[in-house]
Amino acid sequence: MGRYIVRRLLAAIPVLIGLSILLFAYIRILPGDPCVAILGQHRTPEACAALRENLGLDLPLWQQYISYLLKTISGDLGASVVNSQPFVAEFLTRFPGTIELTIGALIFSIGVGIPLGRLAARKVGGWLDGLITGVSLFGVSIPVFVLGLALVVIFGVILGWLPTQGRIDARARFDATSGILLVDTLFAGRLDLFVDVVRHLILPSIALGSIPLAIITRITRASVIEVANEDYVRTARSKGLKEKTVDNRHVMRNAWLPVTTVVGLQVGGLLGGAVLTETVFVWNGVGRWVVDAIENHDYPIVQSTILVFAVIFLIVNLIVDVGYALLNPKIRYQ
Amino acid sequence: MKNLRIGAILGALLMVAAACSSTPAAKEGGTLIVALPGDIVRTDTALTDDSNSSYVIQQVVETLVGLEPGSTSKVVPVLAESYTVSADALTYTFKLRSGVKFHDGTDFNADAVVYNYNRFINIPTALQDYTYYIGAVFGGYGADSNLESATAVDASTVAIKLKKASSNFILTQTLPVFGIQSPTALALGKGDNTESDVTKITGAQGGAGAMVGTGPFKFDKWTVGDSVEIVKNATYWDTAHIAHVDAIVFRAVAEEAQRLNGLAAGEIDLAQTIAPVDAATIAANKDLQLIDRGSSFNTFQISMNHNYVPVSNPKIREAIAYAIDYDYLIKTFYAGAAVKATNWMPAGVLFAKDLALPSYDVAKAKALIAESGETDLTIDFWYPNDVTRPYMPDPKGIFEAITANLEAVGFTIVPNNAPWRGGYLDDEYAGKYEMWLLGWTGDWAGPDNFLKTAFFGYVGGEPSTEFAYKNDALEAAMNAALAAGTDAEAKTQWELAQDLIRADMPTVPVANSKPQAAASIDLKGFIGSAGLNEPLNLVWLDRP
Repeated sequence: MGRYIVRRLLAAIPVLIGLSILLFAYIRILPGDPCVAILGQHRTPEACAALRENLGLDLPLWQQYISYLLKTISGDLGASVVNSQPFVAEFLTRFPGTIELTIGALIFSIGVGIPLGRLAARKVGGWLDGLITGVSLFGVSIPVFVLGLALVVIFGVILGWLPTQGRIDARARFDATSGILLVDTLFAGRLDLFVDVVRHLILPSIALGSIPLAIITRITRASVIEVANEDYVRTARSKGLKEKTVDNRHVMRNAWLPVTTVVGLQVGGLLGGAVLTETVFVWNGVGRWVVDAIENHDYPIVQSTILVFAVIFLIVNLIVDVGYALLNPKIRYQ
Repeated sequence: MKNLRIGAILGALLMVAAACSSTPAAKEGGTLIVALPGDIVRTDTALTDDSNSSYVIQQVVETLVGLEPGSTSKVVPVLAESYTVSADALTYTFKLRSGVKFHDGTDFNADAVVYNYNRFINIPTALQDYTYYIGAVFGGYGADSNLESATAVDASTVAIKLKKASSNFILTQTLPVFGIQSPTALALGKGDNTESDVTKITGAQGGAGAMVGTGPFKFDKWTVGDSVEIVKNATYWDTAHIAHVDAIVFRAVAEEAQRLNGLAAGEIDLAQTIAPVDAATIAANKDLQLIDRGSSFNTFQISMNHNYVPVSNPKIREAIAYAIDYDYLIKTFYAGAAVKATNWMPAGVLFAKDLALPSYDVAKAKALIAESGETDLTIDFWYPNDVTRPYMPDPKGIFEAITANLEAVGFTIVPNNAPWRGGYLDDEYAGKYEMWLLGWTGDWAGPDNFLKTAFFGYVGGEPSTEFAYKNDALEAAMNAALAAGTDAEAKTQWELAQDLIRADMPTVPVANSKPQAAASIDLKGFIGSAGLNEPLNLVWLDRP
């Protein structure tokens, strides 16, 4: 098992180097000039030249790349060219927001998706199955920002049931410590604010969790149907076991494997989806930050965020693979 | 008896009138949530040049002189009670208020002012990327700065000496970047010109020494990318104007739709700017109020580069000016919150006069085209495809309407577009476009800021690559106006400059928009200003 993990980790190194080159090149071939982003209507040719020199953008590309790579390896992921804030500190400030939202979306998508999938599988071919399949198709098809805006308008503006912006009531002026507000408010003994944080989480979690929900529902349904048709399930039934026992002990235990993989893979998708969700819900997380950075041609922030997201994605995939290998020993020997 | 009855009726009427006219007492307390279009950039006044930072900073750090609330050009005393100008117009002597303290408890006095102005002169080279206004107003730094010296005459008197007379000096000193910060805090936050790396200046990064001024609010917290919080200064020197609200949270809400939703959901009290298309929705919502800022502080124009034919021909430019249906544009794209431009600068700018610019007249446009002698009437015309600006709320829609107007009088328009920051601004500035849509939002309400800085001033002694508009007499008039020792002399030169521009019609000014704000109906006491100098200590929340 140890060798398997080491092999997987080593395989990630060329992926990261390749990614860093691609990222570096991609950001630089985008049209536009950071000078315009920084100096705006006040730019002059002289000011732009001085700015490029200060930012090292006047150097040859290979020199810029080497400098970028060396700094990255040493843990210096740069600073914003717009407000000069260092990347690492800012990332750490915002990442808890994205984690909280991702967890909220996962809880929603797993908590609703698996029961729905099981229900659809049990009623396969019936109207309930058709309805659930239809809803999940809708969930996959609808863009996150459209669903997000619809939720904001319906539940925030028209019905006034739930807040639509931020992670906590701005009027509370709460000082977070860890950045995970669910934890911070509890530790501060502010149950009222804990409830407020949960209320703020509901709509963005639904918006972000809609696509994973649909995928998890469909995979659960397919997996349960497949396992339910296996001989050993038929045998269990013919032994006279109760349907609930057959379901829990024989069907679901074997149906979990593909569902686990899909849930793991969704984490990466959720990080990507957070970009749009956080923008719609004015959520202080990494996603909204990177959207602002793209708008402002803030190269170091965009570059470093994508690199860090890629590392996270690799780690999550590794965890999923290791988990899968633990659940299914055949994988380890392939 | 009849007299008594009339008297009683009159008395009742007077009481009703009195009740109607009396201003309700301001309510104290509460937290005001303000949605800004973006986050602030830094927390050191001198190291900022963007409108979001200025909007927040002006609540915390005060300048020697300021603008009357609601005005863009009427200068009023703030930290200086008064000032005098020497006969040669080179020395400005400011009499300072006494008994004023910075938020860190240190004294505001002549030494503090001198410290700040010496800082402006000697900003380290590596930081000059962030101090546009200081460089622009004083013409540079060190030996290049027009600031000769700042001297403490006594504890409450400061003399600021210029190298050459500058008629815009007092007006420019109202800009928030020239706010006076505590020298102790500047030293603490490494904002004392000893540090050249902006990332290490904690005073600029929201850390120690950040934004320590004398204003009605004190800086509290900056959550970068998300919000800035300031709290009431209960010991503010101007006791008549101590803030009503306990705190203000400025939240960065980039999308206009989210600002509207936040207002409607009660999560935002004041949206500093809204999209013109949302004005009708806001007006129809009984829980919200639309705030008209009165005047405009921007100019939207059809820009042209004179290196290209046919727009190099003055008659063609005049014809274009007659071809545009201004009323339609204003009604359709600005929801009425704009006026037809009468000048290259809005009416509130000093010395601006009505230049009797052409109005919509198709026949006149056609006649001018015929007189021009131009046979190829093909024009390359550009618009930005990914932004809206306060002066240009729907670039594509406006572009299409103008194109239709121009084609109706005989021009052939080649439509082009580019991303705002992905080539548009670079290319128009480099002179690659023949005709394009652009505007300018004022920095200060002096004619130089519009006519010279934004539009037609020479760059490096030559016409700008942007417009390629050569007019040596205009350049001379604008320089003479800036160097004028008296307002009367400046006025004469600026009026001459306006006449020279009008005669050439180098571009076509279209409209001066009036970007509106929107607020909860509970928000009271707000005085809007086209220049966004809006003191929020006057505001209160009328809610339990």
